[in-house]
Amino acid sequence: MITNEFIAKIEGHGNLKIDWSKNSVNLGVHEGERLFEGILVGRSAEEAHWITPRICGVCPIAHNLASVRATEDAYGIKVNETTKLLRDLMVCGQMIQSHVLHLFFLVLPDYVGIDRGTELNQKDPKSFAKALALKKMGDEIAYTIAGRNVHPTTTTLGGFHKLPTKEDLKNLLAELEKNKETATWVPQLFSKFDYPDLKVELQLAALVGDSISVDSSTDKNQKREMFPAKDYKKNIEEELRDYSTAKFGKLKGREMLVGSLARLAIGGETEGYKLDFANPFHNNLAQAVEIFKYHKQAVEIVNKLLNMEMDASIASPTAVAEGGEYRGIGYVEAPRGGLYHEIHLDSSGTIVYANIITPTVQNLTSIEKSAQQMINNTMGMSQKDRERLLNMLVRAYDPCITCSVH
Amino acid sequence: MTKPKVAIYDFTDCEGCEVKLVSLRERLLLLENKIDIVNWRLGQERFDAGPYDVTIIEGTPITDYEVDLLKDLRKNSKVLIALGACAALAGVPGIMPEKDRKFWYEKIYTAQYRPRGVDAVPLSAYVPIDFAIHGCPVDEDEVVKAMEELLSGKTPTYSGNSTCFDCKQAGNKCRIRDEEKPCLGPITQAGCKAICVTGGSPCYGCFGIRKEANISALIKKLKTITDEKTIERYLTMFHSRTKEVNDGKK
Repeated sequence: MITNEFIAKIEGHGNLKIDWSKNSVNLGVHEGERLFEGILVGRSAEEAHWITPRICGVCPIAHNLASVRATEDAYGIKVNETTKLLRDLMVCGQMIQSHVLHLFFLVLPDYVGIDRGTELNQKDPKSFAKALALKKMGDEIAYTIAGRNVHPTTTTLGGFHKLPTKEDLKNLLAELEKNKETATWVPQLFSKFDYPDLKVELQLAALVGDSISVDSSTDKNQKREMFPAKDYKKNIEEELRDYSTAKFGKLKGREMLVGSLARLAIGGETEGYKLDFANPFHNNLAQAVEIFKYHKQAVEIVNKLLNMEMDASIASPTAVAEGGEYRGIGYVEAPRGGLYHEIHLDSSGTIVYANIITPTVQNLTSIEKSAQQMINNTMGMSQKDRERLLNMLVRAYDPCITCSVH
Repeated sequence: MTKPKVAIYDFTDCEGCEVKLVSLRERLLLLENKIDIVNWRLGQERFDAGPYDVTIIEGTPITDYEVDLLKDLRKNSKVLIALGACAALAGVPGIMPEKDRKFWYEKIYTAQYRPRGVDAVPLSAYVPIDFAIHGCPVDEDEVVKAMEELLSGKTPTYSGNSTCFDCKQAGNKCRIRDEEKPCLGPITQAGCKAICVTGGSPCYGCFGIRKEANISALIKKLKTITDEKTIERYLTMFHSRTKEVNDGKK
């Protein structure tokens, strides 16, 4: 039977199972298990960051970098300044690529009354042209630094197989400058939408340097908690649900929200836009603000690279195996939030253990809680309207079901 | 003339090949003018239960649900196209052997977990496919080329060249001859523009095995530059489930 049982316009296969007689909801996740943590075991150190981007084609750069960093941590590899800058630039590209795809192709239709994102070309061709220009810009950053728009080819342990030339960087700078106004326009556009009201008590978590910082979405008096990112496993617990092939993450037993909204809540810089950190729908405005921020950051990094002597050297391992094993943890703020990779290698460089916690795993419990809140708040509405709002809510989170199952 | 009805499906995978479809940008709009996309869960709510003129499937059928859906889609589609390495070859998910799945379900989940996955195999393990647009991910130009050929009533074809042809055009040094590094380029179909080798990465053959490829001769050559374990890693990255490759190892 050919049916449409999954929520449209989200990455991967999930749906809300609502019992309208009880007004209760479960978030069903139905993606097949690829068992990446098993696939990695037996492969070589150099293959991990090749394999893990295939977890997600929407945020492959994030997986690539978390993986590279985990193995570098295991081997005690300290990369040079050029590598750090190029990787930060890759993250800018990744954020822009992912946010543009999500905002213009998956979210915008909910607010402007179209179905497929490309229909915006008839309704508002100028805006659609801008969206495509931003998509191109994000892809250009990825092509120039990472070698390809989806699944990087240039990265390696300790640095890069290949650096962009100054000429490449000048072209990239021209592409970025051409889009300055457009990047400024995105948050203006997304601040005009009438987001549904919702107030959910959640733990907002984001990586700041080597720590995970946590604030409450509603309680301003809750003291900011911080713990080392390397303690990710101790603090982010994963639970099994019989209706899901993904595990559900919690932060010390509480529902957490990660991604753009949490980053802006923790980072504090909203570029003058007013965000309601207790309303998950505002994640979309946060993503729009981030397009502006990461564009600005990309320009800064490219200028820095253009004004320095780039160092193509690849850093070497310094670690000594402890008990015959090398163990490392790598992390990065992916478009949807903190991404953690852990890897253990034997003395010959073969992977013996891998653990991955993705941002969407951390958001699943929060999506469910927010959906329940939405159901409680909308008792007087028709079922059809409530279903529409609930699907919009799931989309607002920008879940990557594909990542969550891996 | 009515436009051909096209359905785009994704099974278990990274959805990176669909991201590549969006990366077509203006060319996606041109393509959309010539077709009617009646189903595309990732891109739209609109849903039409079939039949379809062309069905494009990305991803590996891993769950029973996906296997059943694949069979139904085959019955309801005039032309069935595999999009990307997961659909065409089983790709990276195919690395996991069926016999090891139980062990890993217990290890990654728990012994109580009720698995949905059966095995990660290409679409062609269950139904005949009409054409595969290869790659992990696919290349935008190859997608457009295949779609244009289909829309003009032709069955798409491959160039017959190997990735070595693309690599020469890209001006790369030969990994095998000049750098003594392993490479699956000689047995792989052209079309990727040698993008991985250009970036400094290996070629693991994601564009599919070229017709008349001499796999055993390549393996013999690779044995002169590296160990068997490394060769096995190369051959299993995307081709754990490719019959010609498994036969070539013998």
